[in-house]
Amino acid sequence: MPELRELVRAAVDAAAPGEQVEAYAEESRHTEVKALRGEVEGMTFAESRGVGVRVIADGRLGYAWAADPSPEEVVATLERARANAALAEPDEHHGLPEAQPAPALDGLFDRSSAATPVQDKVDLALELERYAISRDPRVSKLDLAQVGDAVSSMAIASTAGVEAGYARTDAWVVVVTLAVDGDETQTGFSYAIERGLGGLAWQPIAEEAVDRGVQMLGAVKPPTAKLPVVLDPFAASSFLGVLAGALNAENVLKGRSLFAGRIGEEVGSAAVTLVDDGRRADGPGSCPFDDEGVPSGRTELFRAGTLEAYLHDTYTARRTGDGQRSTGNAKRAGYRSTPGVGTSNFYLEEGTPSFDELLAQADGGVLIMDVTGVHSGANPISGEFSVGATGRRIAGGELGEPLREMTIASTLPDMLRAVTAVGSDLRFFSSVGTPSVLISEMTLAGV
Amino acid sequence: MLDRDLVEEVLRAARRKGGDVAEVFVEERSSTSIRLDDGRVEELTSGLDRGAGVRVTLGTTYGYAYSNRLDRDALLGAAEAASAAIRGDAAGPVVDLTERAGPGTNRAERPASALPAADKVRWLREVDEVARGVSPEVVQVTGIYADSAQRRLIAASDGRWIDELRPRIRLVAQVVAKRGDVIQTGWDGPAACAGVEFLDAHPPATTARNAATRAVTMLDSVPAPAGEMPVVVVNGCGGVLFHEAVGHPLEADAVDKEASVYRGLVGTRCASELIDGVDDATIPNGWGSFDFDDEGEPAQRTVLFTGGVLQGFLQDRMHAAKMGVAPTGNARRESYAHPPIVRMTNTNILPGREDPEEIVRSTARGLYVRGLGGGQVNPATGDFVFGVSEGYLIEDGHVSTPVRGANLIGRAIEVMSSVDAVGSDFETWEGVCGKDGQGAPVGSGSPTLRIGRITVGGTGA
Repeated sequence: MPELRELVRAAVDAAAPGEQVEAYAEESRHTEVKALRGEVEGMTFAESRGVGVRVIADGRLGYAWAADPSPEEVVATLERARANAALAEPDEHHGLPEAQPAPALDGLFDRSSAATPVQDKVDLALELERYAISRDPRVSKLDLAQVGDAVSSMAIASTAGVEAGYARTDAWVVVVTLAVDGDETQTGFSYAIERGLGGLAWQPIAEEAVDRGVQMLGAVKPPTAKLPVVLDPFAASSFLGVLAGALNAENVLKGRSLFAGRIGEEVGSAAVTLVDDGRRADGPGSCPFDDEGVPSGRTELFRAGTLEAYLHDTYTARRTGDGQRSTGNAKRAGYRSTPGVGTSNFYLEEGTPSFDELLAQADGGVLIMDVTGVHSGANPISGEFSVGATGRRIAGGELGEPLREMTIASTLPDMLRAVTAVGSDLRFFSSVGTPSVLISEMTLAGV
Repeated sequence: MLDRDLVEEVLRAARRKGGDVAEVFVEERSSTSIRLDDGRVEELTSGLDRGAGVRVTLGTTYGYAYSNRLDRDALLGAAEAASAAIRGDAAGPVVDLTERAGPGTNRAERPASALPAADKVRWLREVDEVARGVSPEVVQVTGIYADSAQRRLIAASDGRWIDELRPRIRLVAQVVAKRGDVIQTGWDGPAACAGVEFLDAHPPATTARNAATRAVTMLDSVPAPAGEMPVVVVNGCGGVLFHEAVGHPLEADAVDKEASVYRGLVGTRCASELIDGVDDATIPNGWGSFDFDDEGEPAQRTVLFTGGVLQGFLQDRMHAAKMGVAPTGNARRESYAHPPIVRMTNTNILPGREDPEEIVRSTARGLYVRGLGGGQVNPATGDFVFGVSEGYLIEDGHVSTPVRGANLIGRAIEVMSSVDAVGSDFETWEGVCGKDGQGAPVGSGSPTLRIGRITVGGTGA
């Protein structure tokens, strides 16, 4: 089997004069084990590799990809990309980034995790289920107990001199509990991702999934009201994805962002500092360089409520001009897609109050523990949102009655301005991270 | 795609430890996508994908392994890995493979692959022109054209051999309109398992006009109300609600895990007596249609509700065998990289008798839903949400002011039981449904219907 570097090199070597060519290759191996009722419910082993080729000629962009190609097929892929480019319209801002040295980023590859035998993963999944159903008499079955891990590597090369690659490992557990009391069933979700299987603290994840299910038993539908709201990290993280879309420079340039033209303006309360940092040691989205080969960096999007920057790839930086550089945020959904602006570790910086202190400040309000329908209920262009929610009442600084079948609604600008405090409990969920957040007022719709 | 002797060898290797069924799924997919944005044809992408997955099942447990290498070593390696999950030591037999032919549900009259890309680019330019022509307030237009041809081979140890070609085509218009500080969006995106003849019936200009009109209309919108009220859902949109709220909890895997509100309710009334619902993979050229599902079961029309009485669940082979019923042909997978799971195909509420206009006239006050952005359900609790992208107030039996930022939230059984009017019209909507990390193209359809009482999650009075 040809090495990834050999495959990307084949495309670059076949570039025609005056043509910019970039090839991106990746391969991965992953395993997933699900346990159910003391047995392995399902086991999936996967192996895949592929190459995507980007061509820019006379300002025209073309892309083509192929699964598991030989070096000859990579050259044929380049030819298809070239034919596509001929039909696109020229855009002077297309261009490949020049090679820049990217400092090494240690700790992305966990050798012992990569070498873990399948049987160990099976045993872990079974143990995860056993442990989760031993914690509380109301949780005797699970909807999901899953252990997964991936070993992957990528290589990139271009006519602009980029030639780089790296390998990584990831491991994760997912638990969804079914908490039952009489006729009522509630679910509790928890999840963690780490660099390797050895680093997974799976017991606390199982305990949390049990606790989040049991807490919801007896939930009622609340009356419609305007209230203070605490979003826990699970709920708050859902909104970060929406914010990321609005801070994507491509959306800004194309009139699809409510933050367009507002650099330097106050867009949130002083408690809101929002960062993208591709080199955080504990970040699941860390990488030495992005999917165009530009070194990862740290970008402050909001500093104490002021809009400071957008997320850029090479195209949006060139189109913005004024010396704007890529922030190292070119991301791909695999070799099948062209790079576009995306996040690495995108997070709301933690504040000082503990979770309990936030609750104490939100008397008479509600804690939101989960939101649903964000993909359809939150509009990153207009900033409006209305999403389904579950949570608990807050009374006298304590958590009370569980609540379901309600929505919370606001607009992103109103919500950002109403952030009164940000907790100290920062937690990452894949590439977004957030602590608990106190919001002075939101509309909650119920009865 | 693959030699029959090699497939048999792989199946025999996969059955080395027994199990109920060993199955090989091989796929070759070519795809084209073109994106116009900001007035420019930005990107043309073409892809060639291929790969194979091997699954071995025992009861409701399975092992699955896939590779996008199709050589003998890679396939035997996948068979070895998949069978490792099975607890057994006696090899199982492989029945002689016999080809099964389907009815040709998704025949493409004019395959998209035969058309030059330049013609496809022309449709997107038309989208841009028409959308911008709707109003000077239209500030941004994105047009996306995509087609693909997926050839699938399914062979299993019980002797089935199925080779099916599925063509897909979709044209999407997304429009942004702006007035002062107010930004609104509009979307339309018809899709089918068909050739380019589909666009004769759904011309790009109409798609563009629909999306642009939605965005511009919503510039006049006021914040949606909050609280419980009657909601009239226009034909087409109710199908998505049915898909989310009812369809997902009817999937047999959720039922088997005791994670469905409908568990144990077959034969009982758990929706309004006005509700007749089906899941139907046999609709010619439907977005969720096929000849055979991804386990090689023939496509079916499965009745879910008759007069509000639950008739049964959606099944794959494993769960049907466990429950002692026949499979319903609802096993689907996103690609060779995923094991098949229980999914919907085209899920429809069937038309009733009432005049849709009369349904609005007889509603004193409420919400009128004409566009949607999808939804989400928790099958175990039945709690669902449903995003409203185009909504209006109903005042004194008339559709009046547009509203924005609305969402509907409710519990499946309560909401479906409170449907008190079902229209005689019918329309469909095509989407991509996500479950267990797999996307599946699904159709949904419905007449106009009224929910007597449901919570609307806005911010207004």
